Amino acid sequence: MLGLRKEPPLAPQVLEEAAEWLMRLSERELSEHERAEWERWKVSSPEHDRAWSRAQLLQSKLGGLPPSLAMSALDRPNSPERRAALGKLAILLAVMPVGWGSWKLAQSQQWSADYRTDVGQRRELTLADGSRITLNTETAIDVVFDDRQRLIHLREGEILVQTAVDTATLPRPFLISTRQGRMQALGTRFTVRELSPRTHLAVLDGAVSVILADNRQTPPLIVNAGQRTDFSSQTFGSLTPTDRDIGSWTQGMLMADKMRLADFVAELTRYRRGFLRCDPSIADLRISGAFPISDTDRTLNMLVHTYPVLASSHLRGYWVTLSPA
Amino acid sequence: MSETSSANHLNHLRAIEALYSGHHGWLYATLKRKLGNAMDAADLAQDTFTRILASHITVIDQPRAYLSCVAKGILINWYQRKALERAYLDALANVPTHEAPSPEAHFVVLETLHEIDAMLDTLAPQVKRAFLLSQINGLKYDDIAEQLGVSLITVKRYMKQAFIQCLMLVE
Repeated sequence: MLGLRKEPPLAPQVLEEAAEWLMRLSERELSEHERAEWERWKVSSPEHDRAWSRAQLLQSKLGGLPPSLAMSALDRPNSPERRAALGKLAILLAVMPVGWGSWKLAQSQQWSADYRTDVGQRRELTLADGSRITLNTETAIDVVFDDRQRLIHLREGEILVQTAVDTATLPRPFLISTRQGRMQALGTRFTVRELSPRTHLAVLDGAVSVILADNRQTPPLIVNAGQRTDFSSQTFGSLTPTDRDIGSWTQGMLMADKMRLADFVAELTRYRRGFLRCDPSIADLRISGAFPISDTDRTLNMLVHTYPVLASSHLRGYWVTLSPA
Repeated sequence: MSETSSANHLNHLRAIEALYSGHHGWLYATLKRKLGNAMDAADLAQDTFTRILASHITVIDQPRAYLSCVAKGILINWYQRKALERAYLDALANVPTHEAPSPEAHFVVLETLHEIDAMLDTLAPQVKRAFLLSQINGLKYDDIAEQLGVSLITVKRYMKQAFIQCLMLVE
């Protein structure tokens, strides 16, 4: 299951190399020389070893299936809703280059944001085309819809986007821009967080194509459902599987599964005015729970009641320090 | 530290016990209304709690919102599984008896198919098909290129993308 993996993700480079070996092996017999090279690759680092044990697991799963049954079951036609979404995807891809100029324009002009949330606020919008945007805490966006594009400029903060099928005669691409790059929705649901100097993208359904703001030579990166990445205006980070709990903030929840207390506190700070600090001696304490983000005092109370943590509050709760109990 | 972790485990069990006794009935009723089927609803409610049991959750605010969140993920997965099982059973009806897995093996085969289905789910249809033609049907890349009407380079790109996806997700 996504998100339940206990071991850390493999580096993209290692994944790629393992995939290349799998391709060679599935295509033909290796020569003596290649076989030696392959053996060397496997033992040259613990990461390679880990990647290869996954490859073997994959091979054993694929190899144990009755071909005709497996093919019919796995290659079944998509449901009608799904087909409709994919048809839309093809149309969107066809009009890909549109919208770059306007994006630069949106970037250069200092417009006042169209929609904004304050610390601890959350807001859901339905746009003219039926698409839905949820704004997380301290977020500002501009919405630019015209006859060529549907553009959201994320100035700061985090949004969840759920795109609708465009009803305009000529379907327009759905674009999200940040300082670091431009994302094009390919029929989809995803979250974007602007955390300068990087943008974080996690895709829940469909796919999103990303172009970097200051490096247009790099081809667009397609991020598929279940994947996430981050990028600066110059480079892409690695692709990793998404957490199962991504987007839980739209339900008003901060979900933690063995999250470090220090990370938990950093996350909670986003929803709270004032200072929240945690003593380094308990920074590594692991927290698990579903906490309310609309009421951070309540969250702190829950924390203190469940974990060996003390919260001392000064300046009427403006300054809170967590220390060992 | 082990004292803390066993205390956490106890809190985890208590939280789930409270969640179960307070809200299992509500979840079951909600799912039953949604699916129109009591047996499936009971299974799904059970799966939801099994998943929560496998997490480390100890503190739950707004239990129903939390349960909905977890159940929703399971429901999507479950629809997909139903479609897979239907396709499998249809195919089984057309397979000569000697090629069909033994009744005891069906479960294992279906389980594996479901895992692979989930791994390939987010890939574009062409990529998925290229991967299946190679890994299930044993076709060479040249033949796949011809069958899909794309270049050999494209098939290789598809294969690489699919293998990376599988390596990321296999367990």
